[in-house]
Amino acid sequence: MSKITKGLMLALATTTFLMMTAAVTFAQTTGSVTMNATVSNYVQLTSGGAVTLTGNSGGSVVTDGTADSPLAVVVNLGELGPSNSNSFVKLSAPLRLKSNVAYQLNMVSSVAGAGATAYSLDDSDVGFGLTPAARPANLAAGADTNATPGDPTVGGSTDVNGRWVFAGANSSLGSYAVSGVVLNGPRINKAVSSTTSTSLDVPAIFAIKPQFFDPAPAITITAQFTVVAL
Amino acid sequence: MPLPSSMFSKLVLPTMFVVLMAVTCSGQSTTGTVTMSATVSKFVEINSGGAVTLAGNSGGGVTTDGVVNTPLGVAINLGELGPSNTNSFVTASVPLKLRSNAPYVLSMSATVTSSGITASRIVSSDVGFGLGTVSRTGTGVNTGGSDTNATSGDPTLPANGSVNATSGRYEFTAVRSNLSAFSSATTALNGAIIMNAVPRSNGNGLIVPASFAIKPQFFENGTTTISVTFTVTAP
Repeated sequence: MSKITKGLMLALATTTFLMMTAAVTFAQTTGSVTMNATVSNYVQLTSGGAVTLTGNSGGSVVTDGTADSPLAVVVNLGELGPSNSNSFVKLSAPLRLKSNVAYQLNMVSSVAGAGATAYSLDDSDVGFGLTPAARPANLAAGADTNATPGDPTVGGSTDVNGRWVFAGANSSLGSYAVSGVVLNGPRINKAVSSTTSTSLDVPAIFAIKPQFFDPAPAITITAQFTVVAL
Repeated sequence: MPLPSSMFSKLVLPTMFVVLMAVTCSGQSTTGTVTMSATVSKFVEINSGGAVTLAGNSGGGVTTDGVVNTPLGVAINLGELGPSNTNSFVTASVPLKLRSNAPYVLSMSATVTSSGITASRIVSSDVGFGLGTVSRTGTGVNTGGSDTNATSGDPTLPANGSVNATSGRYEFTAVRSNLSAFSSATTALNGAIIMNAVPRSNGNGLIVPASFAIKPQFFENGTTTISVTFTVTAP
């Protein structure tokens, strides 16, 4: 090969290398960022604050509710026999609900340690009801459906046997031996921060009429609430 | 140096997702409990069952009558108990009302004090006593419960007393038929639970008349005070 030919081949190879390098450099001048995310159904139940216990004889609040903390209230209702001359022993426990979707609040309850005769206190002797107010403007618009008749101390009467009966359907724990709906409604919160203080606060009221129940030294009544997203 | 897109999608995105999920789930509480404890204690109650009936008296009268469902605090002037009272007996029938959510025992204690000083003064054995027919009626009353009367019933019944053939003094002779059997607290009645599960405002209960009787005799003159205390307990 002549010197002229060798020079042409070297020039051609050099040019090709430079062009390839330039092409690679051009491909690294753009990029993209792609983000995926999810907004899941969110429902929350916490305490709405301190409970209120009235009409008790010897009872007290053992573990009070604390707003925005998990609901784990413990209350000693005291004497439920006829020596308690009050009309009702009444407990109001505020519940606090938040959600970004339609919700359903369920409850299941039990009564233990009260005896097993016809005159023992049973779940139908424990009145129950929710008393939700209309939603304030700082919550998502919508109405909540209360499956209970409200304050169980309103209405009610003695039956043919003289025993006190709470008025209306779902007005006592007798309706909640298995989990049942107590409240439901549309989305509660607007699109606000997860730290928002806005919430749907609903008092849950329990009431017992002191009566000539069978003596029982250690009665335990448990109500468990669960909120689910619809 | 720019991050390769493959590294972004395989490492950064999953990490962001996990962090987001953790933040979202950490504060979510969906259940809560309200736990209530309570007690039903034994309850027994004695009240007046209504107005007193006084019969066979000469003078005297009901000073403080019984009022149904109020504390028993009856006061009676039996009047004349000497031979100028020609009635067969001076009797006072005092209705008692009992209520309970447990088996009960009604006991009684009595004292008789007289200004007399001889054996002819009125003493506790001269005061007949007995509980009458027990009535468990009305809404809320445990009508199936039974009661045991420890007395012999109406003390004026012929079977419950007679004139002592030797002394000539009238004596209440049946079991627990006079107040001498109750010089200390002694059971007069006991029975099963009285009330079903009804409110205290239910006005019904077990009614039993407590009958007291004295045969007018040639007692030593003077004044006499008879005091009776009923107590109901739930053993």
